[in-house]
Amino acid sequence: MRVVVAEDLFLLRDGLVRLLEAHGFEITEAVGTGPDLLRALLTHRPDVAIVDVRLPPSFTDEGLQAALAARRRVPGLPVLVLSQYVEQLYARELLADQAGGVGYLLKDRVFNDDQFVEALRAVAGGGTVMDPEVVSKLLVRRAREEPVTRLSPREREVLALMAEGRSNSAIAQRLFVTEKAVSKHSTSIFAKLDLAPSDDDNRRVLAVLAYLNA
Amino acid sequence: MGPVVTIFSIVCAVIAWLRSRDRAGDPRSWRHRVKAMGWGLLLLPIAWIVMWLFGVNPATVGLLLLSGAVLIMAPVVAADLATVMLILLGLYGLAAAFAVFKHARQTARVVMAVPVRAARGARIFVPKGAVVSGAGKVTAAPHPARITSPPTAVAVPRPPKSTSFQQIHPPKTVSLHQVFAPAFSTGIRPGPWYAALTGTGPQGYVPVLLAAFLFLAFGLWLVPRTLGARGALIGRLSSRVQRLSETRTDAVDTAAAELRRVERDLHDGAQARLVALGMSLRAAERMFDTSPKAALALVGEAREMSSRALTELRDLVRGIHPPVLADRGLGDAVRALALETPVNTTLDIDLPGRLAEPVESAAYFAVAEVLANAAKHAQARTVEIHMRHTGDVLRIAVTDDGIGGADPAKGSGLRGVERRLGTFDGILAVNSPPGGPTIVVIEVPCALLSLKTSSC
Repeated sequence: MRVVVAEDLFLLRDGLVRLLEAHGFEITEAVGTGPDLLRALLTHRPDVAIVDVRLPPSFTDEGLQAALAARRRVPGLPVLVLSQYVEQLYARELLADQAGGVGYLLKDRVFNDDQFVEALRAVAGGGTVMDPEVVSKLLVRRAREEPVTRLSPREREVLALMAEGRSNSAIAQRLFVTEKAVSKHSTSIFAKLDLAPSDDDNRRVLAVLAYLNA
Repeated sequence: MGPVVTIFSIVCAVIAWLRSRDRAGDPRSWRHRVKAMGWGLLLLPIAWIVMWLFGVNPATVGLLLLSGAVLIMAPVVAADLATVMLILLGLYGLAAAFAVFKHARQTARVVMAVPVRAARGARIFVPKGAVVSGAGKVTAAPHPARITSPPTAVAVPRPPKSTSFQQIHPPKTVSLHQVFAPAFSTGIRPGPWYAALTGTGPQGYVPVLLAAFLFLAFGLWLVPRTLGARGALIGRLSSRVQRLSETRTDAVDTAAAELRRVERDLHDGAQARLVALGMSLRAAERMFDTSPKAALALVGEAREMSSRALTELRDLVRGIHPPVLADRGLGDAVRALALETPVNTTLDIDLPGRLAEPVESAAYFAVAEVLANAAKHAQARTVEIHMRHTGDVLRIAVTDDGIGGADPAKGSGLRGVERRLGTFDGILAVNSPPGGPTIVVIEVPCALLSLKTSSC
């Protein structure tokens, strides 16, 4: 799997490259600035890109802007955005095109390389991965409102894991229940939130996130 | 005397002209120089008119000297001096006109011309207080006076019974020559303080009165423009200085408190976690050979700790300068803030560019505080935020539908916001009647730094 890495701090970039190579990824190019990233994304068309939000030369959200610009030209170009902070606003902008193939994670999620690589593969496969922090903030915002209050605590847990972009089997593993139980919960959640049920994992994630973001 | 004074005043004007440079030492433009000299130059015609009205006497010469000196030293003070001078002259003129009028009336009441047909050099008796008019000159008074040229009449205060009298007339009009003559004349006029005015006849007080009124009117017209303006300026400046020293103290205090908070947070948070992390790793190192499982558990713990340290650092940085604010500016930072509050927010934001960073930060934390209050204390369900930048003023209005009763004097939060905004001459107005709604208006004078360049 071909990966473009954009990270301005040499140590982190190097670490990421080594981690990815150890997991069998092929690093097409590792860049350190926004303009370089945009160029690399458009020329290499990688299977997935790992992008730091803040990049030189302006040290603002240059990485995010480059990723969004690339996705406007190549719809659905898989991008996993990493940041020291997760911002609801940026998550919203990444999800806005509803095309999938988007991830937004805190940088510390790299510590758990198995989960990180799993998330990266999910994004490369057109899935959507959101940081638990984004999801928990979304839930907090909605927690007081009508349909969400009707969910049982277990259903809320499932909802949060779904919003993070996990598959039924991953959720089942996480909650130590059977996949069947998870799919039952998920049907109930969709009914309570008045969402159209879907078997497609990615469409399910997008529906949940769109609901929470509304 | 007159030519000396005139030359002196011209020299003064020239020196003032040459001296009028700006602070950097560069010679000023014509307009600046004339402006700098303008008020000072006003003193010169005043002095000339005074010399005409009141003769070349020590007072008027002193006035000219003073005006010249002021013109050279401080043209700004000259404006005030000219104003005071005009008013004093006006009052003086009024008094003089009154004196002349009284004198003329007294004279007119009793003045009867005594036809004098004495030959030149003859001695006549002139009554005490009598005024010799016409071309007549009397060398020595009182009696007997020698007539050097035959006068047409001698006016006496009390008419002698046996003499026949004849009314003196008419009053002389003042010629242009008379106006400017004293400025160039070398003589010093004798007589009482209004002596120069008496020679113009019974109606001699009229031009003096007119001049006095003119002086007074001009002087009073100048008061709000010179003395008044200066007074108002001094008032404004001193209240500004007071406000600045207050807000500076506030800013310094706030900054110091903020630094202390950062230091404490780092000390108790991330720093402590890193120490613990190092200790865990060291323990894991030691256990590596003897019990690899325990070592593994410790390493996992260490990783957990580093994660927590990162979280704490993140929260700390968010409290100092939120990342979206740095990335995108105030508009998007407030949008991000609105996304994270539990209250429903309606946004109406129109900022065509970025503002200065400190202003952005102060405004952001002000909005954050107001939003937090709306959610926490006012139990609001919806909040509206309007943000506009018009005419170099940033105006933010936050309205909530909560229970109201917010008072900046009570809580420390809004008071802190007020202080922080005060550093930029910003204001915080809270309108929060019990029962709501609460409207908080924030206004900060500031310029837009740049127009938006990013694609979003």
